[in-house]
Amino acid sequence: MKLNAKDIAAGTFLILLAAVGLWLNQDHSLGTARRMGPGYMPMLVFWIQMGLGGIVLLYAFFNGPDPLEKWTGIETGTLALGVIAGTIAWKVAPVFGEFFASTYNAIGVGMLVGFLVICFAAGWRLIGYICAAMCVFALLLEKGGLMLALVGTIVVSALAEPEHRQRPLGVLGMTIFLLALCWWIFIKQLDIRVAVWPQF
Amino acid sequence: MRYAGPDPGRPMSSILPRRAVLAGGATLALPAAVRAQGGPQGAGGGSWPTQPIRLVVPFAPGGTTDIVARLLSQGLQERLGQTVIVENRPGAGATVGSLAVAQAAPDGHTLVVSNIASHGIAPTLYRGLRYDAVRDFTHVALVVENPSVFVANPRFPAQTLPEVARLAREDARGIDIASSGSGSSNHLLIVQFGQATGARVNHVPYRGAGPAMTDVIAGVVPMMSDSLPSAAGHLRGGAVRAVAISAATRHPAFPAVPTFREQGVDLVSGSWFGLSGPAGLPPAVTDRLARAVAALLADPAARARLAELGGTPGNLGPQDYAAFVAAEVARWAPVVQASGAQVD
Amino acid sequence: MDTIANLAHGFAVALSFDNLLFALIGALIGTAIGVLPGIGPVATISLLLPITFGQPATTAIIMLAGIYYGAQYGGSTTAILLNLPGEISSVVTTLEGYKMARNGRAGAALATSAIGSFFAGTVATILVAASGPLLTQVALSFGPADYFSLMLLGLIISAVLAQGSVLKSVAMVVLGVALGLVGTDVQTGQQRFTFGIPELSDGIGFVSVAMGMFGIAEIILNLEKPEARSVLKTKVGSLWLTKEEWRRATPAVLRGTVVGSVLGILPGGGAALAAFGAYMMERKVSKGRHMFGQGAIEGVAGPEAANNAAAQTSFIPLLTLGIPANAVMALMVGALIIQGIQPGPRMVEAQPDLFWGLIASMWIGNLMLLVINLPMIGMWVKLLQVPYKFLYPSILVFCCIGVYSLNNNVFDVYMTVLFAIFGYMCNKLKMEPAPLLIGFVLGPMMEEHLRRAMLLSRGDPMVFLERPISASMLAIGAIALGAMMLPNLRKGKEAAMAG
Repeated sequence: MKLNAKDIAAGTFLILLAAVGLWLNQDHSLGTARRMGPGYMPMLVFWIQMGLGGIVLLYAFFNGPDPLEKWTGIETGTLALGVIAGTIAWKVAPVFGEFFASTYNAIGVGMLVGFLVICFAAGWRLIGYICAAMCVFALLLEKGGLMLALVGTIVVSALAEPEHRQRPLGVLGMTIFLLALCWWIFIKQLDIRVAVWPQF
Repeated sequence: MRYAGPDPGRPMSSILPRRAVLAGGATLALPAAVRAQGGPQGAGGGSWPTQPIRLVVPFAPGGTTDIVARLLSQGLQERLGQTVIVENRPGAGATVGSLAVAQAAPDGHTLVVSNIASHGIAPTLYRGLRYDAVRDFTHVALVVENPSVFVANPRFPAQTLPEVARLAREDARGIDIASSGSGSSNHLLIVQFGQATGARVNHVPYRGAGPAMTDVIAGVVPMMSDSLPSAAGHLRGGAVRAVAISAATRHPAFPAVPTFREQGVDLVSGSWFGLSGPAGLPPAVTDRLARAVAALLADPAARARLAELGGTPGNLGPQDYAAFVAAEVARWAPVVQASGAQVD
Repeated sequence: MDTIANLAHGFAVALSFDNLLFALIGALIGTAIGVLPGIGPVATISLLLPITFGQPATTAIIMLAGIYYGAQYGGSTTAILLNLPGEISSVVTTLEGYKMARNGRAGAALATSAIGSFFAGTVATILVAASGPLLTQVALSFGPADYFSLMLLGLIISAVLAQGSVLKSVAMVVLGVALGLVGTDVQTGQQRFTFGIPELSDGIGFVSVAMGMFGIAEIILNLEKPEARSVLKTKVGSLWLTKEEWRRATPAVLRGTVVGSVLGILPGGGAALAAFGAYMMERKVSKGRHMFGQGAIEGVAGPEAANNAAAQTSFIPLLTLGIPANAVMALMVGALIIQGIQPGPRMVEAQPDLFWGLIASMWIGNLMLLVINLPMIGMWVKLLQVPYKFLYPSILVFCCIGVYSLNNNVFDVYMTVLFAIFGYMCNKLKMEPAPLLIGFVLGPMMEEHLRRAMLLSRGDPMVFLERPISASMLAIGAIALGAMMLPNLRKGKEAAMAG
């Protein structure tokens, strides 16, 4: 078999994205070659992208083999579950008060739930925890203050590394050190305008 | 409890060091001269202002609005006894920053440099605009007005407006005139000029006045409609030549440049910048701000700086300025519609 | 000679105590913000503007200029050590520099970057002093059609330079251009592909894309390979360059300086293209070209020299025409105007202190940066000895704060998360992120110039072939693409035959 699974996926991705782009681009007037409208360049770009995607796909049948890493059943399952749970959490979040009603906080909750769900599968654990850690930062920063946001981010991101889970003391030390360092750089020296401590 | 941001719930402040030094080797102590620039702190009488005032500039740093804001912030800082921080919130034709201020708490600690783009043209240009330029703001004072000017490459044959118009009618290709952007007041002046003279005008929009001026100097585009402050340096340096100025009378800083009216085209136009806050500003705060602006504009040094830039100090107080903004919105609506620019 | 007399005058101005001090402060602040991911020179300079009001104009500009080129130095540090590019110019540095660090040559990479930058800065300073006004004419001879062709050439170059399949790299460039379409259309003001999100009206943030696809994605990939992490912490190697490395880096620095000096003059895309152009050149002509992708020192030396040279020569349009070439220069214009100086063609005659003082201080500032940075290399390299399990949460935290502080908006943090996932996916599918970034940066400018050129030519596409500059750019691009495509096609065909 000479199938290049990576290129098949890449080509398909490019084509799909170009198709979506062309579909969205229907809202924009094309104009003329002389006075090009807002839709002219996107049209060119997405058609070229679609063509390139097609060629990538075509070659993929000959220049392999280059298989993708196999997904286990649990990985596929949790990914689907994560997307569903995330979407539900995003839509339901506004019920829990004003804070969650603001657009980005609701989306943040949805993303966080989704990322934590996919962490059940061993294969997604790293990407799940790292992305979840960033979402925790974004969610906690404005109401919880910089310090709380940092603690949340560091602890969640530490979950990605098995060694940390065995030795929580190391995480504690690292957290204290990073809190001090970030306070010194960003508050003491740069004085960025964020709340440092929780706002209630 | 430490609370560094004026209102952390709003995604609108930018990083603003009060003591703005990040010393790579923190051993380096800043000289007292730099530290002293933090601004006078403490009491200026009354309960307002109790914390640093944020003056939102709805444009990127470096432009005319930014410069006006920096002059304003210095002047207000001296007169109000509280730090005034300039905060650039550019985006979507100055409407992003303006919207943020419209939605801010009307406590006098968040103000905006209102201007012709965000408060004169945007209400017609942006169909989905989420603020009302008149009702959602407390307009405090008109700070500066400045005319626009048609400039040309020195090698361009037409010397006067009638010659430009004639050239534009005779040449089947029309005449190219650049501007700092689609829907800007300079663009609209080009549209008005075309309407008034029947000249075939090919508008060439740019991303800002700088790149447009480069192409006029290089001769890529023969002419440009620019606001006087941004063209002033190039006019003095002789890189470009002024054809006409859009004020009612000749400008004291450029007495040799004839007006549009003098050349038979009845157009008076220009851009303006003012100070506004969210709707519902306490009258005492509005009053104090208006007086501070008036005092600043009466200061000879400030007047001189504004004149150098080609601006005329405005002299409208709260009521007059609010009426002025309303009149501007009404005035530009038909021109915007005629220009064909429209944003959803 | 006039120039020498003027330069001597400039040094007299620049060597005054205040000016030296503020050049040093600027250089230090610049280095520091360059090292911190996300916080860039534009934000810092606009923050520091009020501080400069009280200073004489020359001192103020010297300090701001110091921040600008200091940030270039600092930016390469994180690019080499942590695969974190803060600006478009350091994206290229990550390609070979980070690989060198993985091979235990982080010290050599940092030293090459510092020395190469200093050399390029010196040459570019002389160039600015000797022929600034003349070079302005070169910049002015570029019309919209020429810019379009130059950028098209840049995109082709960036696709060709990538590792792996040229075809997929071209696709990534196009994808980058497509991402660059998001935001407000310059010509009509219409919102495109923004889904009604106001934060997208000025386009997707470059830092979010770069941090996500490089920095964060790299963390996840590193964690996946325990063996790669142990290598990172044990191998540090000698800090200084070996004789062999000197021999390979020197010509690369020379070539990079030329490329950077020339491209830096062009307003807009010039400085962004400089590093990419230099990288492409090294890949083609240097002796170590077979080592590209595994940590070739030429791939650090050339681009680093180029981006510093470009940073200096990008002052030429500002100083001789009063026209800012990029956002940092626009801030400088603002600073000058507030000081009561009208930037314009007469500035050289009207403000000799400012003009020549600034030029002299650029060189002094570069010397200071070299002196500051060389001893710090040992400290930076020690950073790599920190076990990765402690290093990665720190990188993550710094990225989060940096990205947030760009606009003080959590939206940017979520955007970075999305691009981290996208970068991870690209890596798994063997799609190169670097071409995407250059497409993302140049795409919007390219569209603008294309539309303007067509507007001015009244819809006649022949304008791209009639103008000599444009035509030659297109010809070079066609040749480069052809030369790279042929072996690729042949390989594909052979594979097809064999299959």
